Amino acid sequence: MRARVVVTGLGVVSSIGIGVSEFWKAALAGRSGISVITGFDPFTMDGYRSKVAGQVRDFSPERYLNSPHADRVDRYAQFALVAAKEAMADSGINMGKENAHRVGVIVGAGMGGMVMGEREITQLYQQQKPHRVHPNFIPVITLNSASGIVAMAHGAKGPNVTISTACSSSAHALGQALHCIREGRADVIIVVGADASITPLVFAGFCSLRALSTRYNDQPEKASRPFDRGRDGFVMGEGAGALILESAAHAKKRKARIYAEVSGYAATSEAYHMVIPREDGEEVATTMRLALADGDATPSQVDYINAHATSTAIGDAVEAKAVRQLFRSRADKIAISATKSLLGHTLGAAGALGGIASVLAIHTGQIHPTVNFDDPDPACALLGISGAVQERRVKTAMLNAFGFGSNNAAVVLKQYAA
Amino acid sequence: MMDRTVIVDKIINALAEYLKRDPATIQENYHLRDDLGLDSMAVIELLYKIEETFNLQIPDEDLIGLTTVGAVAGYVEKRLEPSRPVASLSSSAKSGSKPKKKKG
Repeated sequence: MRARVVVTGLGVVSSIGIGVSEFWKAALAGRSGISVITGFDPFTMDGYRSKVAGQVRDFSPERYLNSPHADRVDRYAQFALVAAKEAMADSGINMGKENAHRVGVIVGAGMGGMVMGEREITQLYQQQKPHRVHPNFIPVITLNSASGIVAMAHGAKGPNVTISTACSSSAHALGQALHCIREGRADVIIVVGADASITPLVFAGFCSLRALSTRYNDQPEKASRPFDRGRDGFVMGEGAGALILESAAHAKKRKARIYAEVSGYAATSEAYHMVIPREDGEEVATTMRLALADGDATPSQVDYINAHATSTAIGDAVEAKAVRQLFRSRADKIAISATKSLLGHTLGAAGALGGIASVLAIHTGQIHPTVNFDDPDPACALLGISGAVQERRVKTAMLNAFGFGSNNAAVVLKQYAA
Repeated sequence: MMDRTVIVDKIINALAEYLKRDPATIQENYHLRDDLGLDSMAVIELLYKIEETFNLQIPDEDLIGLTTVGAVAGYVEKRLEPSRPVASLSSSAKSGSKPKKKKG
């Protein structure tokens, strides 16, 4: 019999709060984490079309970490360390009592160590002194630096993998962790999604792609508005989310508090376009259908969808179309919320942070609002989207995440019943 | 020509900054690994800092023997003294890293 998998710990670094309770309080209050970009000094923002982002303010790793490694890794990996530390403490797992080889780490990261990456590249090109490239450059920018450092911090010697599928990275990390534990390859997986690449080059790249919101530079908190008629692109964010996944048997044996069950996962490719989704929404609907089947659930059981909903014109409309296609008459009865309305798009962290919002919806019966949903776009009209908190018992939730490279992921979470 | 005590001080300060500890707790006779806990990667990072501090390039073949604070200071002292080149300087000179007197 395949092992059931549950969530027993959560950790958050976000633009609306560091720590799960701060994050959730702010999310329920509908507080936006989007602000004017200030961190590009000595750059001015004049040349950037978009000037706002969901930045994590006043983050000093020393406040949260006493690891000697903390300042030897890039910002995204520091976020990952802080979120994983909170999640591990929250789970109550005592590594001294665990078989270290049965505890793994799976990290989803889209961009990786771009802070140091950009600095070193700039210096090399300007100064042409190859011998002055920092010795830590390669270890820092190597995309598995976060999964490596999280394992070191906790002595986790099991499977250690980094998944990079752009904006769906950590939804895939959750799904791969589910399958890893289900197949008996590990008892516990520390799942982390992390990205921190609001950097001059990466931000310019997203501007050039014309993917970002530009209309609300003077009203940053209005810029991320999924499903609203006035949306004009996504807002870049940063942060990390961590979830401790473990087999239900392992959790019960150590009498752990169980937040929710992770029951299904599907990964597909649209095999269509690097950055544009298929407009008919069929592949997104298929991905959700496969995830439900993987979790022995049916569309009629879904109460809540944590939508990918990045606030782009086409993306939100395609997702809404797919929801209608799969759930038919039930589509308007499902509560839907867009975590990106609060945080912007945290890229590799988005799946984990949306996953945490889903777990908390199941655990608390509260669904955070989709802020700036002021003028519902008929192209995304679904009655379950709300600008207010929704109180509702959520037995089955769906987490959606879609990424550049034509890839889709969906994860099914359930209220745990023994 | 830089005085040896100045060189030692600069090296100790670089180490103290890297290790986040009081420079007064670091002695010239300290072994980088055994007394200060630097692993091989940390030594490479320290030498990167030393290269910047003294405007030097340290070729790979000179790394052997740079195991104590004093040994690093002695090496730097020799490199900053143009009339007393160290054994491997011929090879480093070829790669363009000939020691030069610098303003600081």
